[in-house]
Amino acid sequence: MGTPAFKLKGVMQAPVTPMKDDFSFDGDGFAKMVDFHVRHGAPAIAWPHHKAESLNLTIAERKLGAEIAVKTVNKRVPVSIFAGTLSEEDSLDIARHAQKIGADMILAISPYCRRPSQEEIFDSVVRIGTHTDLPILTYNSPWRNGEGVEFTHDLTRRLIDRLPNYIGMKDASFHAQKYLEISRVALKLRPGFSIIMGVEHLLASYPLGACGSFSSSGAIAPNLCNKFFGALEAKDWETARDCQFRISRLWHLFKEQYPSSLKGAMVMMGRNVGPTRSPLPTATEERKKFLRQQLEELNVLQTEPHGW
Amino acid sequence: MSKFRPGLVHTPVTPFKRDHSIDWDAYAKVLEFHIKHGAEALALPMPEGEDMSLTDPELRQVLEFAMQQVKGRVPVIAHVSDAGTSIAMERAVHAEKLGAAAIVSHPPYFWHPKPAMIVEHLVRIAGAVKLPFFVFNPPIESVGATLTSAMVLEMVERVPNLAGIVDAGLEFVFMEEIMGNTRSKRPDFQLLAGQDYPVSAFALGGSGVFSPLSAVAPNLARDVYRLCKDSKFMEAREKQENIAELHHLLKEAGESGLKDGLAGIKTAMATMGRECGVPRPPVRPLGEVERGRIGEALQAMPFLRAEPRGW
Repeated sequence: MGTPAFKLKGVMQAPVTPMKDDFSFDGDGFAKMVDFHVRHGAPAIAWPHHKAESLNLTIAERKLGAEIAVKTVNKRVPVSIFAGTLSEEDSLDIARHAQKIGADMILAISPYCRRPSQEEIFDSVVRIGTHTDLPILTYNSPWRNGEGVEFTHDLTRRLIDRLPNYIGMKDASFHAQKYLEISRVALKLRPGFSIIMGVEHLLASYPLGACGSFSSSGAIAPNLCNKFFGALEAKDWETARDCQFRISRLWHLFKEQYPSSLKGAMVMMGRNVGPTRSPLPTATEERKKFLRQQLEELNVLQTEPHGW
Repeated sequence: MSKFRPGLVHTPVTPFKRDHSIDWDAYAKVLEFHIKHGAEALALPMPEGEDMSLTDPELRQVLEFAMQQVKGRVPVIAHVSDAGTSIAMERAVHAEKLGAAAIVSHPPYFWHPKPAMIVEHLVRIAGAVKLPFFVFNPPIESVGATLTSAMVLEMVERVPNLAGIVDAGLEFVFMEEIMGNTRSKRPDFQLLAGQDYPVSAFALGGSGVFSPLSAVAPNLARDVYRLCKDSKFMEAREKQENIAELHHLLKEAGESGLKDGLAGIKTAMATMGRECGVPRPPVRPLGEVERGRIGEALQAMPFLRAEPRGW
C-alpha cells in the first residue's frame, strides 16, 4: 500500500444517521443524506462519527450503513469508514468489512473508554492498520488533563515509521500546542499527511498545514462551509474570519448533547433525519423553535438548502 | 478605551545567584538583551520570571529596578497576580505609581475558585487602577481556574479598562468565541497569544504575543511575529514549527507537574551564553545528564544558529 489515489482537502462531510420514528436505522434516509452532502460539494464522506451516533449503532448497522454510503457515493468522492468501537475485535471486523465493500480508507482509534496508554494506542493502531490494506487515519482525542486518547508527536512518529498506509490524523485537540506537536513531525516525515480538524476550527489550523475538517455544521450550512474553505485557500482572511465566527456560533448551538440539536435543526430545515437514540434526548419542539430563531439571526436559514 | 496595543512582548526571566537571591547585575543584562533583540514591550515578572517564588517586596523591587533600567525605551507591563485579591490590587496600584504601561493578572487558581469568584477577583484588580488591564488565561495544565469565554465576555461588559486577553490556554474554541463575540461590541479588544504560538491567534484576529522563548531565540520570535502581523500566516508555519520544537524540549525538561519549563529555559539560556542561575526552590534545577541532553538537542536545531550568543 503506497500513496492513496485521492487527496483529502476541504470541509468533508460526516453524515448523521437518520432514524425512523421507532428509532430503527433508516437506510433510505441515510442514502438521501449521503447524496445530499455529495451534491452540496462535500469533497469526501466520513461515517459513522460521533455525530452519527456511532457508539449507538450495532456492528451490523454500521456495516449496512457503510455499504449504503459506498454504494450511494459511487466513487464521486472518497469514503472513510470509522472503525472506532468499544472492543478492538469489532474494530478489526469493521476494517475488514470496509476493505471488502470498497471503502477508500478507515479512521481508527484505540478503544477509548479505557484511557489507553501510549503503548496501548500504538499496539491498537498497528493491529488495525496491518489488518487492512486500506489507508488509515487515526483520531486524536485528548481531553484536558491527559485523559482521552492522545497522539503525542512521538507516537505519531512511530506510527508513521511502522505503517506505510498511515495517511492522516483527525485532530480533536483544538489546541495550538497539541496540534503543532503532531503537525511539526508528521508533515515533515510524510509529505501529504492529512491533518483533518474534528470540526471546523480551521482558521487557527489551516495556516499550520491542516488540510480540512470533518464537518459538524455542514449538515445545516454546507454553503457556508464551502465558502469558508474557499476563503482559506484564497488567503482571504477577513472573509475566513467572518465564516469562522459564524460557524463557531453554530458549533456552540449544536455541541451540547451532540447531535440532538443538530438533528432537530435538520428536521426543521426539511430533512427528516428522525430522533436521536437514547440516552441522548431528541430535540423538543421548543428547542427547534429556538434553533430556528438562532439560525435566522445567523442568516443560515435564508442562505442554506432546505429539503433534500 | 486604551490606545496601548503591545505587539511583541518579551517576558524576561528573573536571574538568581547561588544563594537564591536576585542577581540584579544579571537582571540588568537580561533586560538590555530583550530591548536590544526586538522587544516592543516587556511584561514582568511573568511565570517565566518566577513571580510566584518572589516575595511581595521583591516583586515591587523587580518592577522598580526594571523601570529604572528600561527608562521608557519600551513600555513595561506589570504582572500583579496573587492568590489574594487585595494583595494583587495593592501591587497594581504600586505599579501604576511607578509608571507601568499596563497591568496583567491571571485568575487566583490557588483556591479552585468558582467562575463568579474569578471574575470578581479580576474585576476588582482592574478597578484598582486606571491603566489598561489584561487578563492572562493560564495554560491548560494549571488545573483549577481556566477562564471560559463566558467569563471573559462578562468582564468585557463590566470592566471599562479591560484592554484584552493574553491567552496561554491556546484553545481554538476559546479564541474563536472571544474574538467572534467582541468584534462588533468591542472591536479594539485585544487577543495576545500567551505563549509563543501566535499564528492561530493572529489568524483569528489577534494582535500580539507574550514570548518567553525570546530569551533563547529572539530572532525566531520576531520573525514569526512579523509574518503574523503582516497576515502571512502560511509563510509563518515553518518558523512556528521551529518554535514548537524548542518549546516542547524546554517544557518537558525538569520535574514540574505543571510542565512550567522554568528549569529548561534557564538551562537553554546558559547554553546560549546567558547564565541566569537556576530556578528558586521548590523548582528543581536540571541534573548534569539532562543539561547535557538539552545542550545536545539545542545543538541539533539548525534554526538556532541564527540566534545571538552571549549578552
